[in-house]
Amino acid sequence: MSPGTLARLAVAGNRTDVLRLVLTAGSTGVATVALLAAATVISVQGYADRYTSALLAEPGLRPGVSIALVLVSLPVLALAGQCIRLGAPARDRRLAAMRLAGATPGESVLIATAETAVAGFVGSSTGLVAYALGRQLIAARDHFGRLRLPTDVLPPIPVIVLVVLAIPLLAAVIGAVLMRRVIVTPLGVVRRTRSRGPRPWPGLLIAVGLVLFGLPLNWPDGWHRPDWHLPARLSYGVLGLGVVLVMAGVVLGTGWISHTVGRLLRRYGRMPSTLLAGQRLITDPWHGSRTLAALLVAVVAGGATLGFREALATDIRAQRSGGSGLGAEPEFYFNAYRLVLIVVGLSAVVAAAGMLVALAESIVAGRRSYAALTASGVPRRTLAASVLWQTLTPLVPALLLAVGSGVALARLFDTHPPAPVPVPFQSLGLLGAGALLAVVLAAGAGLLVLRSSTDLEELRV
Amino acid sequence: MEPLLNGTGITRSFGPTPALRGVDIDVAEGEIVAVTGPSGCGKSTLLHCLAGILRADSGTVTYRDQNLGLLSEAARSRLRRTEFGVLFQFGQLVPELTAVENAALPLLLAGSGRREARTVALGWLDRLGVADLADQRPGAMSGGQQQRCATARALVTGPRVLFADEPTGSLDALTGEQVLGEIVQVARAQNTAVVLVTHEAKVAAYADREVTLRDGVVDATGLGLGMRA
Repeated sequence: MSPGTLARLAVAGNRTDVLRLVLTAGSTGVATVALLAAATVISVQGYADRYTSALLAEPGLRPGVSIALVLVSLPVLALAGQCIRLGAPARDRRLAAMRLAGATPGESVLIATAETAVAGFVGSSTGLVAYALGRQLIAARDHFGRLRLPTDVLPPIPVIVLVVLAIPLLAAVIGAVLMRRVIVTPLGVVRRTRSRGPRPWPGLLIAVGLVLFGLPLNWPDGWHRPDWHLPARLSYGVLGLGVVLVMAGVVLGTGWISHTVGRLLRRYGRMPSTLLAGQRLITDPWHGSRTLAALLVAVVAGGATLGFREALATDIRAQRSGGSGLGAEPEFYFNAYRLVLIVVGLSAVVAAAGMLVALAESIVAGRRSYAALTASGVPRRTLAASVLWQTLTPLVPALLLAVGSGVALARLFDTHPPAPVPVPFQSLGLLGAGALLAVVLAAGAGLLVLRSSTDLEELRV
Repeated sequence: MEPLLNGTGITRSFGPTPALRGVDIDVAEGEIVAVTGPSGCGKSTLLHCLAGILRADSGTVTYRDQNLGLLSEAARSRLRRTEFGVLFQFGQLVPELTAVENAALPLLLAGSGRREARTVALGWLDRLGVADLADQRPGAMSGGQQQRCATARALVTGPRVLFADEPTGSLDALTGEQVLGEIVQVARAQNTAVVLVTHEAKVAAYADREVTLRDGVVDATGLGLGMRA
């Protein structure tokens, strides 16, 4: 197959496919801007008092800003992952028709991933242009000749090229991974499904993650010894691994939560909507893990940040009551936490957008069964209620688990608090409620496609 | 005469349900063989096994000394786009591609240039009377026009065997007869063998030979009428 043919077959599609391309390109474009911004911040050398923000001026704080920007790009990339699934059933049917005409299994995966790679490349190129234009637009200096952002620094060209090329490649890999359970045959599309329901083993991941996270911090004379460089680095690695395991445990654990909630709904639910939602949760318990992953990761990070902030506040109170004080203004540290919480909020918004795409996609994918239910007399409000039950019932316990895991990370970090650190229930409640509200809004918007998807015409297609 | 395509002792089950229970079948070069029988007797499954779309559970399918059961999925796909043509009742055209792109698809997948593939495909669309619809998408075409376009796609590579599964099943009687007549005429002209699955006696009448299946085994074999031969 020639590259021209590959490109033609990759971009052949209907309006949903065009929407998928646009959304994939848009999300990869935003991710590109975030990563280029992170690369710019890390490229600033030495103490840089030419910037208005201390977060950019202080060499010790810039890595944190860069990491925050990289973290912002993660939910955006997760959104790209959701966008790749948009309209997937129609695309899979198209690939099946191509298989009938003689396309090999490898070629059909190549065609699907080429589409994603093309969209990703368009997005990353657009992101590069937006980054370059943005630098020009915000390059003005204030009265003291200082810059608000590091527009006077450019990351090394190889890094820029790497970001612009790596993002479409990553998007293509995500697309190929998402197709691993889809078998496109000349006779149609078969989806491999797990016959067994999820098990609660992700709980073990959370426990192991917390142990790993707490281990270096509570190791006697461990990583604090200045002459012990390698174990200190190892300690940071173990800390990071612990955080990753906790986040993975929360995301994967949502599959088990969905399955369990589905069983409970089916057993104790008395309304048609709860029965429908329960059966759907049992049939595809991993739907929640996929759609809520980015949001849950953001909530774990938010919970941990609120825990750290509370520990800092306790520390400051203790030091003030003891007559000593922190070297820098406490407000500076609180501002840093505020910045992280803004990043968490942005991530949650992006994650909710991804959820909206995933929800709309799942409704569109199941439109024939929705139309069949409508044709047999099931009211649309029952179907809408079932979608809400399906979305919200696993979310509440998953959010509790995410918030609890985040707080546990913060608790383990503060090994010797000068006074008991209270649990910031109010802030945590706001975090959970904010996440819940984001999902409710996304679910509400997603329900708009339910009406068109329950049109009886869908049964004739 | 040495058969072009040979199936021996083909069995195939779907879960606990046997669809084929030891079918033997030969197809000679240029021969039109109708596979008939009632619904659920295994006609389509046999066609899928012979075309390499499905693998037989046991038994062998041999095409020109190649055992299809030993070929990889990719190798069988390549065989379908070079040596075989496949024609189904519906759902075989890519709705987002134009008629000429659909017809040229096997050539494009095989690596032909777009201009060359388009020229060959246009020739086939013209031969089947739908050249004026070359730039239309399937959604804008009638069932008969779509089936002619699918026929052009099945024949565009000059296959040695054409597999047709109820090719006129979704068409009205008159259009179905026209399309089938064109398929048979082109196959005869190209010396292409045809395996024609149908449950209609008047469709089977176009064949040189008729193989009747019942409950997954060959129930009867006889000469067809070879109408329009």
